[in-house]
Amino acid sequence: MDIKTRDLRRDFGKVQALRGVDLDIAGGMFGLLGANGAGKTTLMRILAGVIPATSGQAVVGGHDLSTREGRLAVKRRLGYLPQDLGLYPDLTPREFLDYIGILKGLDDAAARRRQITDLLDMVGLSDVAGRKLKGFSGGMRRRVGIAQALLGDPALLIVDEPTAGLDPEERIRFRTLLSSLAGTRTVLLSTHVVEDVAQTCRETAVMAAGRIVFTGPVADLVSAAEGVTWEVTTAGPAPAHGVVVSAVSRADGTRYRVVSAERPAPDAVPVAPTLEEGYVALMRRLSPTP
Amino acid sequence: MIRYEFLMQIRKRSLWITTAVLAGALVVLQGDRGPRYVPAGTPARIVMTNWAILLSILLPLGFGMVLADRLVRDRRLGVGRVLDSLPTEPRALVVGKYVGSVAATAVAGLAALLVAAVVEFAARRDVALFGWAIVVFALVMLPGLLFVGAFAVVTPMLITAPLFRILFVGYWFWGNMLSPLFLPSLTGTLLTPIGDYAASWLLGETALYAGADGFLPWLRPDPDATAAAASVGILLLLALIVVLLAGPPLYRRQQQAA
Repeated sequence: MDIKTRDLRRDFGKVQALRGVDLDIAGGMFGLLGANGAGKTTLMRILAGVIPATSGQAVVGGHDLSTREGRLAVKRRLGYLPQDLGLYPDLTPREFLDYIGILKGLDDAAARRRQITDLLDMVGLSDVAGRKLKGFSGGMRRRVGIAQALLGDPALLIVDEPTAGLDPEERIRFRTLLSSLAGTRTVLLSTHVVEDVAQTCRETAVMAAGRIVFTGPVADLVSAAEGVTWEVTTAGPAPAHGVVVSAVSRADGTRYRVVSAERPAPDAVPVAPTLEEGYVALMRRLSPTP
Repeated sequence: MIRYEFLMQIRKRSLWITTAVLAGALVVLQGDRGPRYVPAGTPARIVMTNWAILLSILLPLGFGMVLADRLVRDRRLGVGRVLDSLPTEPRALVVGKYVGSVAATAVAGLAALLVAAVVEFAARRDVALFGWAIVVFALVMLPGLLFVGAFAVVTPMLITAPLFRILFVGYWFWGNMLSPLFLPSLTGTLLTPIGDYAASWLLGETALYAGADGFLPWLRPDPDATAAAASVGILLLLALIVVLLAGPPLYRRQQQAA
């Protein structure tokens, strides 16, 4: 399911959440990176047909989202996992999924129940399918969330900050699950966790202040930090120049990885950048700080 | 959907606590005109109508309170964003939530009346009490509950649930129990959800204030079968209108949500 936006804008009162977004997504797994408040969630919600844009064009799978009919058509083929998903505490996961399945228009009760059983199995919740949701951990709630998004086998899956608050094992499990789902559908992954995109997406876009500031292959974003990524080991203070991306304590001092246009210390050596450093370099270029 | 809204409401502890506390208070505090003092040999219809009108004094107030969060809690719980992304029309969502949650609440009301029937049966040994419990529930309590439920589910979307609850308490005493002789009020009119007209018809005498002189005299016919039917019909019609009109405001809320 392809996605295309042109000069997409959305205002909330005087706040301009989106300031002219141009984006082309052909399919597969696509990462949307950006800091909190960059406009990712607003863009997700417009693409999910939840809210209309103030102006501009958004077309998903050939459906124009400026019309109510277009939004409805997208919703029928959509799985959406919003940020901070809540659940009804007095229902079990099976009941909650059945409730959502009914609202998705899955009218064949037997087929719906079969699919719910399969999804609970897939997300590893079969053993607790009869327990009330109020006792579920954050990771378990996220798994219920992805299961509800997958109900009806949607062609487009939009997941907003899906790994926030998960422990490392849950995060890896979740990423793997999302990657496996992208084979037959479009998965739009919005996150501020660069590692999630690095591990799952070939294509990505970066948002800042309501605009797309980068779009292209993940490798291209990595290259944004080529020549400006340094490694320096010192027992003294952290380098004063640039952005320290990582600091690892060692026996001979602390090893810093730094993104900086200038050599941050006399003994700093240039190193091959990671996606995180590419992202930092891009952001630094957009709003340079001394 | 209705099934799950029903399940969630019937599992709500506050529904049962509210019902038990209010019904218990009414049983204890009923005056000498209360159903406990209806003489032996009185027809089951009269006995159970007395119970229904007694319970209707306060139970709908409690029901309005526990229904007030049914629609707005989706935002509080964080389920609203998923619901917004589904192809269900807002109106269908409101109707489903209304029917499911009010049906579950009605079960609590009916249960209270059936408990009264059991207690009366122990003393009067008249099996007709159970049949009349269901009939008077349908005629006296249910229309008011459907009316109150519609406003309780929909209004908090416009003015917040806590404010609705405060206003609703004021409305309940002003519009149902305040004598129209003291102040202009809806008490004793066809619009009274306390079930006054239906109860008066079943009792063959005025239950509370039905038809009493006062404000809006054209809404105060003498209580009889026609007036009782008119009262039930008007309450159901108003409930239907409120629920059907709730779709567009819910849609606007979705669109404006940041």
